[in-house]
Amino acid sequence: MDTTGAGALVKALEDVGCEVIFGMPGGAILPAYDPLFESKIRHVLVRHEQGAGHAAQGYAQTTGRVGVCMATSGPGATNLVTPLADAYMDSVPIVAITGQVARSVIGTDAFQEADIRSITLPITKHSFQVHDPADIPRVIAEAFALAVSGRPGPVLVDLPKDVLATATTYTPPKLVLPSRPVVPPVQVRNAAQLIGSSKRPVFYVGGGVIRSGAAPELLKLAEKTGIPVVTTLMARGAFPDSHRLHLGMPGMHGTVPAVAALQRADLLIALGTRFDDRVTGLLPEFAPHAAVVHADIDPAEISKNRKADVGIVGDCRDVIAALSAVLTRRTDLTAWWSYLDGLRATYPLGYDWPADGALAPQYVIERISTLAGPESVYTAGVGQHQMWAAQYVKYERPGSFINSGGAGTMGFAVPAAMGAQVGAPDRTVWAIDGDGCFQMTNQELATCAAEGIPVKVAIINNGNLGMVRQWQTLFYDGRYSNTGLGTHQRHPDFVKLADALGCVGLRCDSRSEVDGTILEAMAVRDRPVVVDFVVGQDAQVWPMVAAGTGNDEIMAARGIRPLFDEVE
Amino acid sequence: MTRHSLSLLLRNEPGALARIVVLFSSRGVDVSSLSLAPDGSGALSRLDVVVDLQPGRTPEQLVKQLGRIVDVKSVVDRTHDEALELGA
Ligand SMILES: Cc1ncc(C[n+]2csc(CCOP(=O)(O)OP(=O)(O)O)c2C)c(N)n1
Ligand SMILES: [Mg+2]
Repeated sequence: MDTTGAGALVKALEDVGCEVIFGMPGGAILPAYDPLFESKIRHVLVRHEQGAGHAAQGYAQTTGRVGVCMATSGPGATNLVTPLADAYMDSVPIVAITGQVARSVIGTDAFQEADIRSITLPITKHSFQVHDPADIPRVIAEAFALAVSGRPGPVLVDLPKDVLATATTYTPPKLVLPSRPVVPPVQVRNAAQLIGSSKRPVFYVGGGVIRSGAAPELLKLAEKTGIPVVTTLMARGAFPDSHRLHLGMPGMHGTVPAVAALQRADLLIALGTRFDDRVTGLLPEFAPHAAVVHADIDPAEISKNRKADVGIVGDCRDVIAALSAVLTRRTDLTAWWSYLDGLRATYPLGYDWPADGALAPQYVIERISTLAGPESVYTAGVGQHQMWAAQYVKYERPGSFINSGGAGTMGFAVPAAMGAQVGAPDRTVWAIDGDGCFQMTNQELATCAAEGIPVKVAIINNGNLGMVRQWQTLFYDGRYSNTGLGTHQRHPDFVKLADALGCVGLRCDSRSEVDGTILEAMAVRDRPVVVDFVVGQDAQVWPMVAAGTGNDEIMAARGIRPLFDEVE
Repeated sequence: MTRHSLSLLLRNEPGALARIVVLFSSRGVDVSSLSLAPDGSGALSRLDVVVDLQPGRTPEQLVKQLGRIVDVKSVVDRTHDEALELGA
């Protein structure tokens, strides 16, 4: 016996390469905090466990490694539920370590007992509850391996307090990553055949391309074939926005050419993507003329929402490399490109300035993108500002946009930015946040201030739960039930709030001051900065495919339906 | 609704059955009968289950989703075998 369960936990985490834990102590997990005190692992003390979970997600997505968060039993553990659900939806590799009440009282409604394993069953890849301290190193290694292998995702390790406190002998864990599946050559040949004979193909690229590190291979394959590329919300950055083959983001708020490319295609080459309803719109009307090649590491995704003519189970990096190797002939896509280029010229992304002289939110985001550049990392909350961050920031590299796609979790931006900054200390990290979202998790700015994590937050303060208000404008006759936040009346005053949290607080409400304010924020390096960008409340996110309609009904702006009119 | 019989081999780990049952409930699968028994080796259990699927949901999809569960060693759709046994 050379240590305790807690000692074994910290040692095992060190041995599997964990360099940072985002967490908060409490009764049941307290034994683990003692050896952590002298460990080389950095612990970032969050102000709310939800922040720990999202920070682990942000860290995982900037580094490509497993993010780790830690919480005590009961409410500490249940506060991790939202980030676990988020990581499950967006396939983010994180390990959550939770304290649990002692083995002898599990199941007796003991103080701070919550059956976190059962609570998180449908939102974790797997979970463990360890009953023998000698098992802890093996379980930690398995949890790390599960989180990153195959389709990445969250894994929970629940540790009863007495197991942490019991003496044990440490056995160094072996991190065994399962080998990647072998890409079936027959399917690759079938896919290549479809690609070779298609006249209107499109690469429909999802977040799996980023998770698998396949962006460089995708660039080669796209350039070799000349096939147009669209990148989903989770794949922004998987293909350079500046590239002529890139048509932008498809889906509910996608560009007209990207949506048209899917709708008019005769072949979708879907890579690491899951035909989410925000991309497909009304499923029976989605890409009606297209055959489908679908490659994904998760066999359960293939033919889930749309039947694949050729399904390829494999890591995107391997699949794309295999396709590159067999695709030799370049098909003539002139007619296809002239159609798409026509749409690109007629319907570029654009916005109007508010008539009342207020600041345009899209302009603010465009300027941040220009001044901070593609080497920065951008996170977003959920709502209009998120869609504008997806549309108006120009992404050139994978991992530069981190947001909550599948779950749509308000409050994601600030803690994710904190984790991203810890993972990438040399990059500028901008959280593009909403005035509503910001109020859900801004307490992590106190963490950032105390820990020297100099994130930058741009609050797109439109005074409202803007995305909900947009739906009320369009679908509820402008009846604005419970969407006003009072943030234009300074409830709260974000500049004062920033100051109180130990950050620099700035405000900007006019076009002429936007660049100066952004540069001022970028000049601050020793503390977090919050900029309250006061913008008009009526700006809307366009284009839009209304929920429950087909993609052909995409509106470039209110009342303008380019594809629908084309059909008639 | 379409009816299917599935047969699974599970690792005898705490929570393994719960994980499967939760998957059924999360994905809107109706369970009409379920039986769990040791498979003899001690390390594994055999779960036989008859489920009803909503229109548009395929048993192949369910089999793949069950296959993602770490404690599930194998899943087979026996609907066809059983139909044969019954002489259908
Ligand atoms: C936790 C959570 N609660 C509620 C929602 C529903 N919702 C989606 S967007 C939105 C408005 C967000 O407001 P804000 O942060 O100000 O962003 P904006 O749309 O104004 O840019 C709401 C309430 C959600 N996505 N997440
Ligand atoms: Mg808002």
